[in-house]
Amino acid sequence: MPGYYDMDDILMEDEPISVVFQVGAHGCGLLDPGSETNDIEKGTKMDLPYWLAHQLHLRQAVSISVPASFSQKTKKEIQADAACVDLKGRCPYFYELGCKIAPLVGDKTIGTFLLYAFTDRYKEILSKSHSGPAVPRISSRLTKEESQLFEAARSSMAAFKKWRTGGSRLEKASILGRKRKRTIPLGPSSP
Amino acid sequence: MPRFSSPSVPPLSPTGRSFLTAASASVRRSSPPPLASVRSHPALAKCIFTSFNSDLFDQVISECNEHSLQLQSLIRKIEEQNLDMQTTRNEDHFGAVIHHLSLVRNKRCLMAYMYNRAEIIQGLRWKVGPVLPQEMQEKVNYLEEEYFKDHSAAIESYMSEMDLDLTVDMVPPKDPYIQVRVLDDIGEVCLDDHSISLAKHSLHFLRRTDAEPFISQGLMEEFLE
Repeated sequence: MPGYYDMDDILMEDEPISVVFQVGAHGCGLLDPGSETNDIEKGTKMDLPYWLAHQLHLRQAVSISVPASFSQKTKKEIQADAACVDLKGRCPYFYELGCKIAPLVGDKTIGTFLLYAFTDRYKEILSKSHSGPAVPRISSRLTKEESQLFEAARSSMAAFKKWRTGGSRLEKASILGRKRKRTIPLGPSSP
Repeated sequence: MPRFSSPSVPPLSPTGRSFLTAASASVRRSSPPPLASVRSHPALAKCIFTSFNSDLFDQVISECNEHSLQLQSLIRKIEEQNLDMQTTRNEDHFGAVIHHLSLVRNKRCLMAYMYNRAEIIQGLRWKVGPVLPQEMQEKVNYLEEEYFKDHSAAIESYMSEMDLDLTVDMVPPKDPYIQVRVLDDIGEVCLDDHSISLAKHSLHFLRRTDAEPFISQGLMEEFLE
């Protein structure tokens, strides 16, 4: 269960979900910049961030449709070659959002689909992460969770190599600016 | 009353996102337990710490005030119609719900921003010692600086009570002495019972515990042949 202060959870909840209002709401024209009044009519279709869509769904005020990231088209692409799909571009929190959205839209296939995508991509991530200091192209396609795995694999490999060659244990605190050449190759700084 | 301009909501979508992205870049998941692995923890090894974004912070707070006003006016409307607050599910109710949720969301974003920065600042005491280096000093705001001082004082009083320095390297050294190269002009320093002049590029043989704080502050490096 992610904590209240979890940055990744907060950012994940900002993902847009397309909803249809089942009720009207007054004083919320700001959600729909195109509307002329300050109210939302029943039946209005719009994208809301997950945190709002989810809560309104609980109150039966909106109906949620399956986001494009989990559409049939994506499923087909994943089945063809999971490692080649740019999941980051679709949704940087693909798995987390998938887990949260599945019970809301009542699509039973999402769970198995997520598992399939993850296990299939995992092999690729692991082998690429050990393939030397150059940053492979795959890293730009990884979701947040995957790139954390990727980084973990890389840094543990680097730490292992350093330990074997007997490098210095003491170093300048990494939070301070790096003026000298870095000793441990770091991966791409994720956004 | 002026309507919010579109960037203000979905509350924090445009504004809050950049705000939190900046914040989250500066924070990697959980912070480590303070002792075990402070120096080498990968979560802290990569973090980028940026200046406190007070403009955006204030912007979010004024957005909250706006939400609060709207929320109150919607509730007044329900009350004026003599409807039961608990059971009414009309348009005004859902409008109020949206404003309420937006407030809760904004609060979470602000709290998380403060909290995660506080954790990093706490970690600094373990990594760079009781004095904030210049480059960090520029990035923290006044309250954060106070927090650092207080936290630092708490640790110090605990350590003096225990008569134990908890900030030294956790792995027992093979040799109590270490050869170091000085990277910056530090000047005369009193170590143990004698004073020593630490000039740039000079090599010294120091006690490990004496050298550690200088290394973590980036003023020295271990000299390996």
